[in-house]
Amino acid sequence: MHVPIEYFLVLSAFMFITGVAGVLTRRNAIVIFMSVELMLNSANLTLVTFSSYIGNPVGQLFVFFVMTVAAAEAAVGLAIIIALFRNKQTMNVDEINILKW
Amino acid sequence: MNVDYLVNSLYLIKPELAIASALVLLVLIDLIMGNNKKFLPYVAIAGLIAAAYFIIGQFGMNSLAFVSKSNKGMIIADPFGAFFKGIVVFASLFVVYFSIKSDEIKASFERHGEYYTLIFGMILGMFFMISASDLILIYISLELVSFSSYVLAGFTKTALRNSEAALKYVIYGGVSSGIMLFGISILYGITGSTNLYEINSLIQSSSIPNLTFILSGILIFVGIGYKISAAPFHFWTPDVYEGAPITITAFLSVASKAAGFALLIRFIKITFIKSVDSAGYWQLVDLIDWKTFFIFLSIITMTLGNFAALWQDNLKRMLAYSSIAHAGYLLLGMAVLSNQGMIAIIIYFAVYAITNLGAFFVVMLIANKIGSENIDDYKGLGYSQPFLGVSLAIFLISLTGLPPTAGFIGKLYLFIALVDAKMITLAVIALLNSVVALYYYIRVLKNLFLSRPANGTFEFKVSFSNGLVLVLLAAPIIILGIYFTPLVDLAKNSMQILGF
Amino acid sequence: MLTEFGKIFVFLLVAVIFVIALVIVAWLIRPSRPTKEKLMTYECGENPEGSPWVKFNIRFYVVALIFLIFDVEVVLLIPWALVYRQFGLGGFMVGAIFLIMLGLGMAYEWRKGDLEWERAKIIPPVIKRPVFSSKETREAEPVKSKQLV
Repeated sequence: MHVPIEYFLVLSAFMFITGVAGVLTRRNAIVIFMSVELMLNSANLTLVTFSSYIGNPVGQLFVFFVMTVAAAEAAVGLAIIIALFRNKQTMNVDEINILKW
Repeated sequence: MNVDYLVNSLYLIKPELAIASALVLLVLIDLIMGNNKKFLPYVAIAGLIAAAYFIIGQFGMNSLAFVSKSNKGMIIADPFGAFFKGIVVFASLFVVYFSIKSDEIKASFERHGEYYTLIFGMILGMFFMISASDLILIYISLELVSFSSYVLAGFTKTALRNSEAALKYVIYGGVSSGIMLFGISILYGITGSTNLYEINSLIQSSSIPNLTFILSGILIFVGIGYKISAAPFHFWTPDVYEGAPITITAFLSVASKAAGFALLIRFIKITFIKSVDSAGYWQLVDLIDWKTFFIFLSIITMTLGNFAALWQDNLKRMLAYSSIAHAGYLLLGMAVLSNQGMIAIIIYFAVYAITNLGAFFVVMLIANKIGSENIDDYKGLGYSQPFLGVSLAIFLISLTGLPPTAGFIGKLYLFIALVDAKMITLAVIALLNSVVALYYYIRVLKNLFLSRPANGTFEFKVSFSNGLVLVLLAAPIIILGIYFTPLVDLAKNSMQILGF
Repeated sequence: MLTEFGKIFVFLLVAVIFVIALVIVAWLIRPSRPTKEKLMTYECGENPEGSPWVKFNIRFYVVALIFLIFDVEVVLLIPWALVYRQFGLGGFMVGAIFLIMLGLGMAYEWRKGDLEWERAKIIPPVIKRPVFSSKETREAEPVKSKQLV
């Protein structure tokens, strides 16, 4: 069965928008990180789609690296959230406000 | 692919290899020596000196490493990259010295191994960022720099403002790198390649869907703009600069920004250029109007940075906003889109690096003793500590851009480039901005010299080595402000980018 | 003759039968003495009580983070394992260096005690440092008491 490339691209654009909206509207630091991961994964989907559409493996190679980077990002982000939680006992980004203007 | 091919490419990335070996050595020393951590900074300095030696060798090079059948090369070794790597190594040497002296860093003694390892991870990432010519390598090196700096920003994890800075940094950084990655994926989809040179030859020859291309270009710029803290993406800068340990703040404001600008210049120049005309102006491919984009961006960046700096009470935060403003000035040089503009950027950056390191060093020395970075606590410093006061004054005057300091030369070349390109309005706006900047720098100077000190605030001595380093940073600013020919020659030598 | 898929099918069949046989044999020989502890929901050795939405020990996160990192490296190793022979010694060296780096990371976290469940208390070193003027920072700063060389 042949699925047109537009379907994949629309899906990945939708995922990307969902990720951006999640970052902008959610207040829990962990949910924000999940949204960021969603953005990275939407880019992955685009890369794989184009890679198979163009017939050039570089895109899939890129996806491997992006997956590694995403894991490292999650690790660093969660570690920082834990460090902050120990000091402040909250994960709400609105309450993290010593530094401002 | 065989061993010879690999070895030939490795010859071209000697500085990176030196840094990587030093990184591994630091981890090993931390593993083996356990609690004996006093060798770490010396190993770090040795690694940096080795890297500096190899970088000097790169000034004569002009070639691509890791070329294969399907790729025109991943890494470029050229004078342009060598200059910016030199800036990074210069900043790192001083930052390692600052770290030895900083009480903030000394307090988390048991994690010094991680500290230097992460700094070296950052340097490695910056080196690759400066010399990358492939979108994959650009993305990965950008993330390497970001991850190391996220952790370093929250290094002294017991202090709340450290962890807060790290969290803000990681959220902004994650979002902007995600956006950049999406842009890269679209660019890959349009052109079918991740190599900048291949993309360049492709967009010159065939027709490209215009709107999609603009979208991908802007999305990629988000990632770079976040690294150089250009205006709509600058929100992390003040918070992180204030919250992070001061050594890291100095490092971020100089080295990270240097890598970001090198990446920006290389990305724009290699990907979009059509030809360079006889007067040195770049003719870009007619897809994205980068000129208008940069003009707009630089105006809002410097105006926002300068005006927000006006009502800052924390000197570190004020310097953060001033570094945003300086990113705006540097973007002016990009807006000219000519070789002359690029020389101006290089001169400006060399001066900015020395000056900013010096300013942060003085702030660190004072924070070590009086435990405050508040501008009001600096009252009368010029009387009780004339040496520190005068050096801070030199750094601040150079940041403003007044003669006879080197900051003036940087601004002068920038304005000359603008006027030559007939962008008088922009030059006037930049000049007005400098006047605003004068106001907040003078406010610090007023506190330093025109107020009487509170009793017993500044009863301490500057040690000989600290004084020497301070002189090492302050003297070039005065000397280059008067005799600047070597700086200009260096800039002219290091503006050559491979291919164009 | 079996086709290529046929071989895999036989392999799958053998795997399924083997598992079923093992389960049946175990069921035949094992003694059956259920106790309260054995019938409880398995929750990593803790007593299952209360809502599952409680704060977990932070060390679970550390273990999860380390697992996550080393788990994902496999993504890079699998393509390398498929093709490294074509690239001769160079290809092998690339993967070997990568694996050495990974091993170094593993050694690092082992040495740093992140794999221990009971961690030794780190005695914070002491610095004559002035307290930062910001109030919040001061509260978060632990008080140190010993002089460090």
